Amino acid sequence: MEAPGTTDPKLRLKGVAKAFTAPRTLKRTLAVTGVDLAVEAGEFICIVGPSGCGKSTVMNMIAGLDMPSSGTIEINGVPVAGPGADRGVMFQDYALFPWLTVEENIGFGLRNGTPGNGLSRGEVEARVREHVELVQLAGSETKYPHQLSGGMRQRVALARLLANGPDVLLMDEPLGALDAQTRLILQTELLRIWGETAPQAARKTAVFITHDIEEAVFLADRVVVMSRHPGRVRAVIPVDLARPRDEHIRATPRFGQLSEEIWGLIRAEAYEAIA
Amino acid sequence: MTQSVAETSAARLAGTAETGEAVHAVAPVSLVGTLPVLGPTTARRVFRHPAVTSALSFACFILAWWAVAVWTASPIQLPSPPAVASALIDLAQDGELFDNVSVSFVRLLISMAAAALLALPLGFSMGLSERVNSYVDPLLEMLRPISGIAWIPLGLFIFGIGGTLPVFIMAYVAFFPMLLNTVAGVRGSDRKLVAAARTMGVSPLRIVRLVVLPGALPTIIVGVRIAFAGAWAAIIAAELIGSPSGLGFAIEWYRELLMSPNVFAYIIVVSAVGYTCDLLLQLLRRRLTPWASGAELA
Ligand SMILES: Nc1ncnc2c1ncn2[C@@H]1O[C@H](COP(=O)(O)OP(=O)(O)O)[C@@H](O)[C@H]1O
Ligand SMILES: [Mg+2]
Repeated sequence: MEAPGTTDPKLRLKGVAKAFTAPRTLKRTLAVTGVDLAVEAGEFICIVGPSGCGKSTVMNMIAGLDMPSSGTIEINGVPVAGPGADRGVMFQDYALFPWLTVEENIGFGLRNGTPGNGLSRGEVEARVREHVELVQLAGSETKYPHQLSGGMRQRVALARLLANGPDVLLMDEPLGALDAQTRLILQTELLRIWGETAPQAARKTAVFITHDIEEAVFLADRVVVMSRHPGRVRAVIPVDLARPRDEHIRATPRFGQLSEEIWGLIRAEAYEAIA
Repeated sequence: MTQSVAETSAARLAGTAETGEAVHAVAPVSLVGTLPVLGPTTARRVFRHPAVTSALSFACFILAWWAVAVWTASPIQLPSPPAVASALIDLAQDGELFDNVSVSFVRLLISMAAAALLALPLGFSMGLSERVNSYVDPLLEMLRPISGIAWIPLGLFIFGIGGTLPVFIMAYVAFFPMLLNTVAGVRGSDRKLVAAARTMGVSPLRIVRLVVLPGALPTIIVGVRIAFAGAWAAIIAAELIGSPSGLGFAIEWYRELLMSPNVFAYIIVVSAVGYTCDLLLQLLRRRLTPWASGAELA
């Protein structure tokens, strides 16, 4: 056996399958099957695919919220046994605590969970402060989620995710609920926060789920294309666009080619899904 | 022989107390919840203001009452509003009113606390564990249809006349809505939020305290409001028979003395205290759960 962390990728899925059993009929349906994937430290992976292809199922299993029916998921070569703060999750609807303020939401993990272990009170407060500022929410600390715009909620969720200092960022359609302009702005911001300008060793590992192909191409080092019935990995497309990326990259021919290629892979199923 | 007399009068009086209270417990809530709809003219707008409509409906009621009192001309069956008002003032000045209100109110608080102490932990266990639920639920469903009033005769044997019986009856009545709403609140708490806390390495016990509890709180507070209304309705019945003090006792006392204005004065006080409690609980709800739906209207 090799020592964990030396030659292993940051995240590895081996033959992962997940079947759900319907509560009454006891009928088993295969949500995903045969998912193999290795993600290197500092890599930004996007998963795209038609709705219902098992993207969220895969992410929940990486997060440890759900266990695979077969196959294994490893972090640094160690099998995932449950949720842990080394893998931070950002949910599609943000999952902010409605009874906590912006500041309390961002500090929730540091104050109540393992991310705060070994930190003094002062260090925790400083880190919360730092993340409030990172996502430009200074001045809104005492507001409640229901008083915020969609874009601001998304920033709170992002700040909460990052404040916990996870190695792996798991994001499930985090920009899905936003309007087009806000999305474009936040995509660039997300890359900055992930560490696009830093060397790969200093970057976080990111798994980002989206149904927006151009968003995937803009953000990712590699795009994982999934297909349905049952959910499986159809293709993995490397995105050879230089970093740091900015808005102009969307106008380049290569960007168009990559988007076209991915669209070609899911077009048939996307039409099927709305039929 | 004595027992059967007590039972029949209990049932009869309980019925009156319960229906009387139910009207008061429901009507004020809907009045508070009504939003003024702006009409085209100022006059219309004034007549749609909730305070104005409440005052008008109240005035109409007093007038109708007065008219019926004059028509029946039977002060014992139906005293006139002025007679009741002056009885109310006399009782208040005498201090007797305050004594009886405070005795009943303290009993209410004790019984609510006892009910909460039982219902909240049990509700959380049932809401969190299907196993616990499957054992406890059948028993509860068996007990729940038995009105609190039905336990008064048995309670008289066990506790005798005194303060314990009303407290027991009220705690029994308050227990069920508190428990059922706690279970519903815990079950209905957002799984996504629990999942989010788990991914932040928060321990299960803390998740219950920091995520499940606040998530269930709005539903639990609704349960407490229902419990308050039910317990307050039941206390009168329990004190009518089982207690030498309190509002129910005073009503029965003056009935025996044929002093109807005093009986009516006490009934009005029962309504006023119940209504005030409900308003305070609504205030508390807004304070405790400002994020919950409806907070924007406050
Ligand atoms: N908890 C569950 N119980 C039963 N079936 C589920 C559950 N979660 C997901 N599924 C099924 O698994 C499939 C994949 O779902 P999901 O991962 O949410 O897809 P996606 O996120 O790609 O839209 C769907 O067919 C869905 O109905
Ligand atoms: Mg999904």
